Amino acid sequence: MKDNKIVQLALVLFAVCAVVAGVLGVVYNITKPTIDRRAMEKTTAAFAAVLQADSYEEVKISGYSLDQSINSVYKDADGSGYVVESTFSGAQGNITMVVGVKSDYTCSGISITEHSETSGLGAVAASPSEAGVAFREQFIGVGEGVTVKDIDALAGATITSTAVTNAVSTSITTVKTIEGGAAA
Amino acid sequence: MRIQDQFRDGLITNNPITVQQIGMCATMAITTSLFNGVGMGLSVLIILTCCNVVVSAVRKIIPNEIRLAIFVVIIAGFVTIVDLLLKAYIPALSESLGVFIPLIVVNCIIIGRAEAFSQKNDVKASFFDGVFQGLGYTMILVIMCVIRELLGSGRFGGGLIDVAKGFRFTLDGTGGGIQIFPSDFGASILTLPFGGFLTLGVVIATMQYFLKKSAKQKKAAEEAAAEAARLAAEQEED
Amino acid sequence: MLTNILSIALGAILIDNFIFSQFLGCCPFLGCSNKVDTATGMGIAVVFVMGLASAICWVVDTYVLVPLGLEFLETLAFILVIAALVQFVEMFLKKSVPSLYAALGIYLPLITTNCAVLGVVLLNVQNHYNFIESVVYGITGGLGFMLAIVLFASVRERIDFADYPDCFEGFPIALVSAGLLALAFMGFSGMKIF
Repeated sequence: MKDNKIVQLALVLFAVCAVVAGVLGVVYNITKPTIDRRAMEKTTAAFAAVLQADSYEEVKISGYSLDQSINSVYKDADGSGYVVESTFSGAQGNITMVVGVKSDYTCSGISITEHSETSGLGAVAASPSEAGVAFREQFIGVGEGVTVKDIDALAGATITSTAVTNAVSTSITTVKTIEGGAAA
Repeated sequence: MRIQDQFRDGLITNNPITVQQIGMCATMAITTSLFNGVGMGLSVLIILTCCNVVVSAVRKIIPNEIRLAIFVVIIAGFVTIVDLLLKAYIPALSESLGVFIPLIVVNCIIIGRAEAFSQKNDVKASFFDGVFQGLGYTMILVIMCVIRELLGSGRFGGGLIDVAKGFRFTLDGTGGGIQIFPSDFGASILTLPFGGFLTLGVVIATMQYFLKKSAKQKKAAEEAAAEAARLAAEQEED
Repeated sequence: MLTNILSIALGAILIDNFIFSQFLGCCPFLGCSNKVDTATGMGIAVVFVMGLASAICWVVDTYVLVPLGLEFLETLAFILVIAALVQFVEMFLKKSVPSLYAALGIYLPLITTNCAVLGVVLLNVQNHYNFIESVVYGITGGLGFMLAIVLFASVRERIDFADYPDCFEGFPIALVSAGLLALAFMGFSGMKIF
C-alpha cells in the first residue's frame, strides 16, 4: 500500500515535469531563431566596430600556449587582421572585450561587450558618451607592450583602465604567437 | 476577500518587500536604473500571476505530500518561458538583469504566495493577488530605482527614456535618460552595493514610520471612541 | 591552473563576495543572522550544499543537458537537483551523523530557496567553468557567504545596544549595517593574484 502511494506520487511529479518540459520545448523552438539572430548581430556589430571586414573566421587556439584571459580569436577572411576576444578582471567583476589587431601588430580599435564596472567611473570605458569614445579611441594604433602610463587613464578608474590596457597588449601578443605558429 | 482589500494589501499593508520582507536579493541588486526596475517588476508580476492562477486551478488535484515540488516545477517553467521571451525580444533587459531572471525561481515571493494564498483560494482571487502583489513589488523597485539613479548619477529613467533624438521610450537599453543634474555631482556610492542596502533600509524605515503612525492614530481613535461610549453609558446611568 | 583556481577562490570569498557584491543569498543572510551560533551553522550548511550542488549540476549539465540540446531546461533541472540534494543530505545526516544533523538540521530545508545555491550553479554554466573550477567556485562562494553572515551576526548582536530611531527597528537597521559592511568589502575590489 505504502509503496503504491510512493509510485503514484512519483508518477504525478514525473507527469508534471513532462508537461512543463514539453511546453518549454515549444517556447524554446519558437524563440531560438530570434535569440540566435540577435547573438549573431551583436557579435558582428562588435567585430565591425574594431576591424572592418566582410567576414570573420574563427581561429583554433587550442594548439597555442596563450594567456588564459583569451576566449577566442577570429581572423579577417581578407587577411587584414584579427579580432581577439578576451576577459580580464576589472574593479567590480569581469570585463569582456574584443580588440582588433591589424597585420602590422597595432590595435585597430576596441569594444567592451560585457562589464559590471562602477557607473560614472569605470563604466565610462564602455559608455557611448564622449569621454568613453575618447578613452577607447586612444588605443587605435598602439602596439604590443602598451602600459597604462602610455594612455590617459579614466579619472577614478585606474583598475578599469589598467585592465583594458592589459587586454589590448595581451591581444596583440596573442596574434603574434598565432602568426608565429602559422609560419613555423 | 474583496478586491479593494487585496489591492491595499499588495501595495501597502502586506507589501511583499517592505512588510513580508521577502525577495530582497534582486531588489537590492538590480535597482540601478528605471529600465531594470520596471523590467524586473513586470517580469515578476507576470510570473507571479501565471503561477498563482495555475496553482489555484490545480490545487484540488495535486497530492498534498509533493505540492511544494510541483509548485517549484510550475514556477521554474514560467520563469524559463519569460527568460526565453526576454532573450528573444528584449535582449538588452535580459543582459542587464542577467542571472536574476532565472533566480526568480527561488524568489520567496512566488513560492510564498503559492503556499500562503493561491493553494487555498479560487482562481479569480489568486489572479488579483498575483497582480496586486506584483504591483506592490514593482512599486518598491521603481521607488528604489528612482532614488538611486537620481541621487547616484543625476538621471531619471536611464535605459527607458531616450531624449537624445526627441523624447521617446526605448526598449533596447540605449536611452540615456533625462539628466537632471550633471552626473559629476551625483553621490555615485548609491549606485554601488552599499547604496542598495542603504536605500532599501531607508525605504522600509519610512514605510514602517507611516504604518506605525497610522496604527497609533487608529488605536487613539478607538480609545477615544471607547472613552466616549463609556461616558455616554455613565451619563445614561445617571 | 593553480593561479586560476586561486583567483577564483579569492574572487568568490572577498572581491565578488556573494552577499556584498552580487546580492545572492540575502534572505537567509538577513533572516538567520541574529546570533553568531546560528549564523555559523547556516554558513557551514551553505558551504556544504553549494559545493555538492556545483559538482552534481556540472555533471548533469555537461553529460545530460548539453549533449541532448536541452540547455533551456537548465533552471528547471538545477532547482530539482538542488531540492533533491538537500532532501538527501538531510536524510543521510539524520541516519549516519546525528550530531551534525542536530547542528545543521533546521537550516537545510531553508537552503533550497537560498538563491546563492541556484545562483552559483547558473554562474558556473555562464562562466564556462570546468569541473574543478565549478567545485572550487561553489565551495569558496559558500565560504564567502559564511564569512559575511558570521561577521554580520557579530555586528547585529551589538546593534541591540545601540540607540537608533524607532522606525528603523528590525530589518531597516540591519540593512543599513549590512550596507556599511558592503562598503568595507569594496576595499577588496581590484585585488589580484599575479
